[in-house]
Amino acid sequence: MTCVTIREGFVDYLTGELPAGDLAEFRGHLASCPACREELEGLSAVWTKLGVLPQESPSGALRSRFYGMLEAYKEGLGKERVRISLGQILSDWLGRLMPRRPAYQIALALVLMAAGLGSGYLMSVRSRSTARTEVAGLRGEVDAMRRIVAVSLLKQASPSERLLGVSWSARIDRPGEEIIQALLDTLNHDANVNVRLAAVDALYLFYNHPEVKEGLIDSLSRQSSALVQMSLISLLVEIRDRRAVEALERLVQDEKLNPKVKKRAELGLVQLS
Amino acid sequence: MKTIVRLAGIIILLWAAGLADNAQDVQTDHAVVSFSNPAKPGTLEVDINEGSITVRGYEGKDVIIDARWRERILTKDEQEELAALAEEEEELDEEEMARKRAQAEKAKGMKKLEVESAGLTIEEEENVIQVNVEEGKRAVDLLIQVPFSTSLQLSCRDDEKGVAVDRVDGEIEVETSEGPIVLTNVSGPVIADSSDGEIKAVFGKVLPGKPMSLSAMDGDIDITLPADVKASLKIKTDEGQIFTDFDIRLTPSQQKKEEDERKEGGGYRVSFEKATLGLINGGGVEIQLTTYEGNIYIRKAL
Repeated sequence: MTCVTIREGFVDYLTGELPAGDLAEFRGHLASCPACREELEGLSAVWTKLGVLPQESPSGALRSRFYGMLEAYKEGLGKERVRISLGQILSDWLGRLMPRRPAYQIALALVLMAAGLGSGYLMSVRSRSTARTEVAGLRGEVDAMRRIVAVSLLKQASPSERLLGVSWSARIDRPGEEIIQALLDTLNHDANVNVRLAAVDALYLFYNHPEVKEGLIDSLSRQSSALVQMSLISLLVEIRDRRAVEALERLVQDEKLNPKVKKRAELGLVQLS
Repeated sequence: MKTIVRLAGIIILLWAAGLADNAQDVQTDHAVVSFSNPAKPGTLEVDINEGSITVRGYEGKDVIIDARWRERILTKDEQEELAALAEEEEELDEEEMARKRAQAEKAKGMKKLEVESAGLTIEEEENVIQVNVEEGKRAVDLLIQVPFSTSLQLSCRDDEKGVAVDRVDGEIEVETSEGPIVLTNVSGPVIADSSDGEIKAVFGKVLPGKPMSLSAMDGDIDITLPADVKASLKIKTDEGQIFTDFDIRLTPSQQKKEEDERKEGGGYRVSFEKATLGLINGGGVEIQLTTYEGNIYIRKAL
């Protein structure tokens, strides 16, 4: 799919009407194309604002008046082919509605304004509560979209895109198991040190999830990069989990351990005791 | 006329240098490889254990690889292994010794041909050119010329000469253990890591969008950015110091998470990411800099 066809599908995507078959390709493209992603984020923000507005529905009278006018226009055309423009008819019609005397005109304007303000107030009172739930719902949808984008970015071949995936993950309010697992996978298996370092930082934000603590402690023995080990040790000391003590003790025993990491781990043990 | 003579002189000198090279038995390899789809930016992947990698962008479509093999310094293990082998040789029996002497007799008046270059392999698949050196072969200094838009993935372990890249606009991923990383006239994104070496990166321009990250354990990180760059820096260092001539507005880490309000008892907690954030010209491209002991220098290009 090209960017043009993807963008045509945005509205369907936001309303959840995109055919299931196109969904995977759609998400794949989003993951690989930052321009489309930005567009979609912008659009979903507008969507959020639109969702808050009360729905406007024309009154029945407007409908009948419009059709009446249209009939009159058609008749006029049919009879003598008198060339009267629609604009002229409209202005005539509006002119007839408008009172002749300025005093009445002002009065009418005031009445209309009061009616507008009053109905606006009423509507806002009624819609405030529904708007709130709608905004919450939309926020949830944005979160869900971020989750999808983050997970697919984390699987890209380019390390810079994977970094972007980590930073998208960090922006998610409720990460859920999928994101936590994807971040832990990145921490343990990503080929690039910088991406693993970023994963440590992102996971730190979610450490109140039980599987994150466990995953971080477990990961300590798997890291080959001294810098990542350092970063993990600082983090484990920070979250003060007793189980980290055991992992640190095991790490210190490792003969091949970088001496600086060893020193840091020993300091960490003192801090934890 | 004078210039022609001078040129001729230079050519003769070069030729003599070439002869001298041969005399010293410096072995070189030269290869030109094309991408299968030259219209699209390709990727160059180089992974060597011992040696150095120099990559330069040039106005061409092919990748030109020049390899210079050098005697490498043997590791301790290998020296012991060689010594053990030599000892064994002393214990060779009479028959074996006779055979060796006969072989030496046959080779009289001839010189040995080196077939060492079999250690270098170059492969191209789907616009990715891979250059590898077999382990256990000699160290190699690679000079590779690539089209400007090529993406690079370079890995160089156990050597003090490291990696140098000049004038490449593609994405650059570099990894060294001991050697320095020197990048000049690049635009990023750059993802670089060195355990013991320094990282120096001079950006001609910085492309907006993709994040960058540079990390070093012991070495310094020294980056030069254009004066008008829009960047959001995230800096983490345990024992190093940070220097800059940019007007950077430092903010405490703004990345925070608030505990889910639905939790029983309405628990509320805010956690902050442990890093220093700095915005240059209002913020933009994310650049993360991480060191343990090394200092961090953020320079404004002149």
